[in-house]
Amino acid sequence: MILRPQLQDLKNIGYYSGKILIGIGLTMLVPMVVGLLFAEINPALDFLIGAEIALIVGLILTKLCFTEKDLNWMQGMVVVSLSWLATMLVAAIPLYMSGHWGSYLDACFETMSGFTTTGLTLVQDLDHLSYAHNLWRHLGPFIGGQGIVVIALCFFVKGVSGAFKMYVGEGRDERVLPNVIDSSRFIWLVSIVYLILSTLVLGLVGIANGMKTANAFFHGACIFMAAFDTAGFAPQSQNILYYHSVLFEVITMVIMILGAMNFNLHYRIWTGDRREIWKNIESRALFIIIIVIFLITLIGLSQVGSYPRALVMFRKGFYQVISAHTTTGYMTIYARQFIDDWGALALAGLICAMAFGGSSCSTAGGIKMLRLGVIIKALQQDLKRIILPERAVVEQKIHHLKELFLEDKQVRAALLITVAYLALYAIGALVGMFYGYPFLDSLFESTSAAANVGLSCGITVPGMPVGLKLTYIVQMWAGRLEFMSVFALIGFFVAAIRGK
Amino acid sequence: MKIKSFYNVVLGMAVEVFYAIAIMLAAFLVCVAAYFLKL
Repeated sequence: MILRPQLQDLKNIGYYSGKILIGIGLTMLVPMVVGLLFAEINPALDFLIGAEIALIVGLILTKLCFTEKDLNWMQGMVVVSLSWLATMLVAAIPLYMSGHWGSYLDACFETMSGFTTTGLTLVQDLDHLSYAHNLWRHLGPFIGGQGIVVIALCFFVKGVSGAFKMYVGEGRDERVLPNVIDSSRFIWLVSIVYLILSTLVLGLVGIANGMKTANAFFHGACIFMAAFDTAGFAPQSQNILYYHSVLFEVITMVIMILGAMNFNLHYRIWTGDRREIWKNIESRALFIIIIVIFLITLIGLSQVGSYPRALVMFRKGFYQVISAHTTTGYMTIYARQFIDDWGALALAGLICAMAFGGSSCSTAGGIKMLRLGVIIKALQQDLKRIILPERAVVEQKIHHLKELFLEDKQVRAALLITVAYLALYAIGALVGMFYGYPFLDSLFESTSAAANVGLSCGITVPGMPVGLKLTYIVQMWAGRLEFMSVFALIGFFVAAIRGK
Repeated sequence: MKIKSFYNVVLGMAVEVFYAIAIMLAAFLVCVAAYFLKL
């Protein structure tokens, strides 16, 4: 029998969602201040209005639904999935008011793309967007990559038990430290340290390349936020191609790889266990799969002969592979070149890279290396069972932060989420084909959206069908939250309608 | 949080950057090999 949600359920959900909205409202003050610093009065007003709406709605929710009770699992999951939708709606307000997005839906698409660290964009005339709005586009991934809920946990949530349920709901099934609030703070520590260092380095490279000082550091900060959080937004419409710098490309590749690493691994390495990076199943899998996929892409590129010089082929091919595999979405080629110049094999390599994604408990999307590692180890175990005598006891070990014996429930969980991702990629591709796009183009764009990558072969443009925009928004949202909290929200609505 | 040593953090970051560069170098070697083997 399904139980209908009670008033206390709604109060808990409303109270914690309100707190998260207050957090989003307060972060809008950052681009507002930047707007004032750059003498951009109208953009600053856009953010003042957006912040006011978020704060008013958040305060009303926390006052109306005030409760001291902790969240249960269902409530925690529903809070997470609803908060992401609410964040999309309020964060889109200042973007829509800028006039650079054709409709409110386009602005919502942009914010969902940013907060889920996808990087698909529907902005028009990006090169003339204000500093404040551009910063907000890049701040979205920085907030969403670490986790909207993770921010709230750092500052607003006191109850550790309820906090853990929201933390898990946001697609992080591992704690870095025993206390989930300390875990959230560590995630922010890593991000802030790398933000400062990388902004400095990218800023200096920008100055060396002839950019003005303030502009160079602004670009450096924006590029870091979108690279480390594997989002793929850039302040200029030509993306990374704008900089025409090998050094810039190398630095962004390093940042993308760092962003695709598990925060648990960062913690182990930063606390002295430096060998873990060479032993961990995820970092090993990431290393090997990147090389294998690059080889496939390389063969595909040499077959079509788009890049006759080996060095150019390496520079163009490897950058897109790293960008796809870390689910960042930075490009050093134009979108249509994927279809016109790359050929089917190279494109298939990129689609695989996007689908596999980065590490779990990182800012990357996709199926994740840990799940792939577990599935490969389970295959090895089954092969051993076939080959070895029947009486032999076959045990498979994996090394992920410590030595673990592979258990059936781990394999089942990994396979379930993998199948869910594959279904999501396929559904988006079918919708794309329904609107008349070719199979490979549709699959490429759908995988890019659902795995939160952001590479585009040209389908994502302001004039694309509304149904496809909505499909990609749902794909980005479900892919980022890794399904469980989305299923919980659907279950909550079913219980509200059909429960007793 | 238990991060107490500045030395560990700096060395840790160096190891992470080295890991990223190792991936790039391995890919470059694969590219060179593929070029000479005419794959």
